[in-house]
Amino acid sequence: MIKTVAWVGAVAGLAMSWASAAMAESAAEIAVKEAQKYRGQTITIAWEAGLQALDPLNFSGPKWEELTGIKVKVVELPIAEMFTKIMQEYRAGTGAYDALNVVPAWMPDLANAGALEVLDPYVEKYGYAAELQTIAPTYRDNQMKVGDKIYGFPDDGDVFVFYYRKDIFGDQATKDEFKAKHGYDLAPPKTWKEFAEIGQFLTDKYKPDMYGAAFFRQPPYGMFMFQERFRTEGGKFFDAETMKATINSDVGVKVLEGMRAENKFMPPGVEQWGFVENLAAFLQGQTAMTISWPPYGRWAAGYGTDQEVLSWVPKSQIAGKVGYALPPGGHPELAAGFALSVASTSKNKDAAYLFIQWLNSEDVSLQRVQLPYALRDPFRDSHFTSPEYLAKWPDAKDYLATLSEGAKTGLLDLSLLQTDKYEEVLRQAISKLWAGEDAKSILDAAAAEWDAITAKIGVDKQKAVYQAWAAKSGAYPQ
Amino acid sequence: MSESATSAMAAGGVAAPAGHAPDRFFKYWLIAPAIFLLLLVGLFPLIYSLIVSFQNITMMEVDTSFAGFINYAQLFKDARLWQALLHTALITIIALPLELVLGLLMAQLFLERMPGRQIFVSLLVLPTVISPIVAGATWRLMFDNRYGPINQIIGWFAGEPMTILWTVNPNLVYPSIFICEVWQWTPFMFLILLAALSNVDKSLTEAAEIDGAGYWRTFFKIVLPSIWPVMAIAILIRGLDLVRIFDVIWALTQGGPGTMTETISIYTYVQGFQQFETSYTAAIAFLVIAMLTVIVVWAIRRMGLAK
Repeated sequence: MIKTVAWVGAVAGLAMSWASAAMAESAAEIAVKEAQKYRGQTITIAWEAGLQALDPLNFSGPKWEELTGIKVKVVELPIAEMFTKIMQEYRAGTGAYDALNVVPAWMPDLANAGALEVLDPYVEKYGYAAELQTIAPTYRDNQMKVGDKIYGFPDDGDVFVFYYRKDIFGDQATKDEFKAKHGYDLAPPKTWKEFAEIGQFLTDKYKPDMYGAAFFRQPPYGMFMFQERFRTEGGKFFDAETMKATINSDVGVKVLEGMRAENKFMPPGVEQWGFVENLAAFLQGQTAMTISWPPYGRWAAGYGTDQEVLSWVPKSQIAGKVGYALPPGGHPELAAGFALSVASTSKNKDAAYLFIQWLNSEDVSLQRVQLPYALRDPFRDSHFTSPEYLAKWPDAKDYLATLSEGAKTGLLDLSLLQTDKYEEVLRQAISKLWAGEDAKSILDAAAAEWDAITAKIGVDKQKAVYQAWAAKSGAYPQ
Repeated sequence: MSESATSAMAAGGVAAPAGHAPDRFFKYWLIAPAIFLLLLVGLFPLIYSLIVSFQNITMMEVDTSFAGFINYAQLFKDARLWQALLHTALITIIALPLELVLGLLMAQLFLERMPGRQIFVSLLVLPTVISPIVAGATWRLMFDNRYGPINQIIGWFAGEPMTILWTVNPNLVYPSIFICEVWQWTPFMFLILLAALSNVDKSLTEAAEIDGAGYWRTFFKIVLPSIWPVMAIAILIRGLDLVRIFDVIWALTQGGPGTMTETISIYTYVQGFQQFETSYTAAIAFLVIAMLTVIVVWAIRRMGLAK
C-alpha cells in the first residue's frame, strides 16, 4: 500500500512539474513558438527615426528573424510625422504598417478612429496577461487602454528625472554657506521655491564657470514642464463639469511667472535651449541642476557614449558626480513615451502581435532597455531591480531607484481627442512667455483657444474622454 | 508634295494619303495628352479642393456631406488667419522695396566694367541658388546665442559677451527675418536689373547728358522707363514669392514667438498638416487664391504688363 501511494505520489509530482514547466513558459517563448507558424512572412513596423530605430534595426529585428523566420521591415518616421503617417495609411487602407509605435497621448484619437487593433483577444490567446501585470504601475494603468480595451503595450519608461551635481551639493563649505543664508540644508529641492533659491545661490557662487541650473526651454519641452508643474502646484486643466479650460487660474499664472523668473539664474540664452544644448551644458559641468529624460543619466555616467552612433554626445566631465532625484513636487511628467500597437489594417495581425508581445516581454524588454545606443527606458518592475542593469555603472542603483519612484508617482501627459491641438496652444504659450508677454494674458488667450477647440470637437464628447483620463491614477497627483 | 497636301497642312491639318480626306482634328489629338495632363494636375485638384471646402473633412472625421458655407463663414471669425495675412503683407511691403532698391544699387555698381566683375557677380548670386529652408537654417545658426557668429561679433565691438535672442525677442524677430530674406533674394533683383540696365540704349543717356540733364533726371526719364517692363516682372515674381513665404520663417521662428511671425502659408500648413482641418484649409486656400487673383490682376494692369 505504501509502495502504491509512493508510486502515485511520484507520478503526480512528475505531472505537476511538467505542468508547471509548461505554465512557466514565458511570453517571449510563447511568441517565438507561435510565430514560427508564420515563417517566411514579412511584417512592417513604424518606429521613430534615429536612435530609437536602432533597436529593431540592429537588435530585435534580426534576432526575431533568426528565431522565427519572420522578416521585420522598419519604417523610420520623424516623431512629428508619426501620427499623420499612421492616420493617412489607415484612412487610405493601404495596410502599409503591421505594427506601430504609438505615443500614449495619441491613443484615444487613434483608437476612436479605428486605426488600432484591440489587443485583448490576442493577450488571452497568447498568454500575455500575467507578464502585462509586471509593467510598472503608472505605465500599465495609464498607457495601455482606451475605455476598457487594450490598444497598446507600454514600452518606454519616459519620465522626467531631476539630475544634480552631488559633488557640489556635498561640498561642506557650500552647504554651510547655503544653510547660513537660507536656514535649511542644501539638498535636492522638494519644491519649486527651494529650487529657485538653490539655483540662484549656486549661480551667485559659481557663475560664470557654472550656473545653478538650466532646462530645455524650447516650446515642445517647456510644454511638458508646464503640464507637470501646473498639476504639482494643484492646477486642473478643465472644470470637469463644464469642460471650460482652467489653465488660466492663479496656479497657471504662478507657474509661468516662476518659469520665467528662473531663467535669470540660468545661462544666458537658455530660452533657446533644446535637448542637445541642455545636455551639452550639463555633461560639460556648466550647470549644477537639470531635468530631463532618463538617457541624460546614462550618458552623464558615460554609459553607451563610446558607441559610434552616440559620438555626438559630448564626453561627460561629470561621471560619478551626478545625483538623481524626482523633480520638485515629486510627480514627474511621463513626457511622451511609446506603446506598441497593431495596425487594424494589417494583413499579418497575428505575426505583428506576436512580434510586439516578444519585444515587450520580460526577457526581451530587459535586453532592449540596456542597449547602450537605443533610447528605450526601463518600464517594468524587473528592469529596476535587474542585477545586470544595477551593475552597469557605480550609481546605477540610485538611477534605477529614482526611475522606479517616478514610475509610481509620474503624471500622464494630457490625452484627449485631438490632443495635439491643445498641446499646440501650450507650445505657443511657452513661446510667448519667453518673448516677454504677460503671463495672465498668455493663459487667458490659451484658455479661450482651448475652449474653442473643445466646442468644435463637441463639449460632451470631449468631456467623456477627459473624465476617463482624469480618473486615471496618473492624471493628477494623488 | 502635292499642292492639296500643302494647303491642308497650312489649314492646320495634315497631308492625307491620296484618296483619304485630311483629319481636321489631328492637331487637337496632338495636343490632347498635354491638355489632359494639365487638367489632371491643375484643374482637377482645384475643383476637388473647392468641393472639399464645402464639406467637413478632418483627419479624424471624414464627413463628405455638403456643409454649406460653414468653412467660409469661419474664415471671417478666425482672428489668427487675419493676423497671418497682416504679417504676410508686412513682410512683403518691407522686404520687396528693400530688395528692389538694394538690387538696383548693386546693379548700377556692377554696370561699369571693372576687374573681376564676372567673379563678383557669380559670388553675389550664390545665395539665390540655395534652398530657402537651408538659408533659414543657416541663419538660425548664425543668430544662435551660443554658437552663432553674429552675437560674437557684436560682443567684440561691445567689449563683453552679448546675449541677443534674435528669434525669441519680439523686437528682433522681424529684423532677423528681413536680414535673411534680403540676403537671399536681393541678388535675384540685382541679376535681373543688371541685365535690364545693360540693355538701356547708351545713345539716349549720352544725348541727355549732352543736353544737360542731371543723373536723377536721366535716371527717372530715360533709364527707369527703359528697364520698367523687366523691373515690373521682377517685382511681380518677388512679390508673389513673398506672399507665399514659408521656408525661411519656418526654419527661423516656426511662426513664433507665439504666432507673431506666422504668415498665411505657415498658417495654412499648420491647419492642413498639423491640425488636419482639411476642409477649412481648402477654404483658406480659396480665400488666398481669390485675394491673389485680385492683387495680381490689379498689379498687371497698373504696371502696364498686359499691353
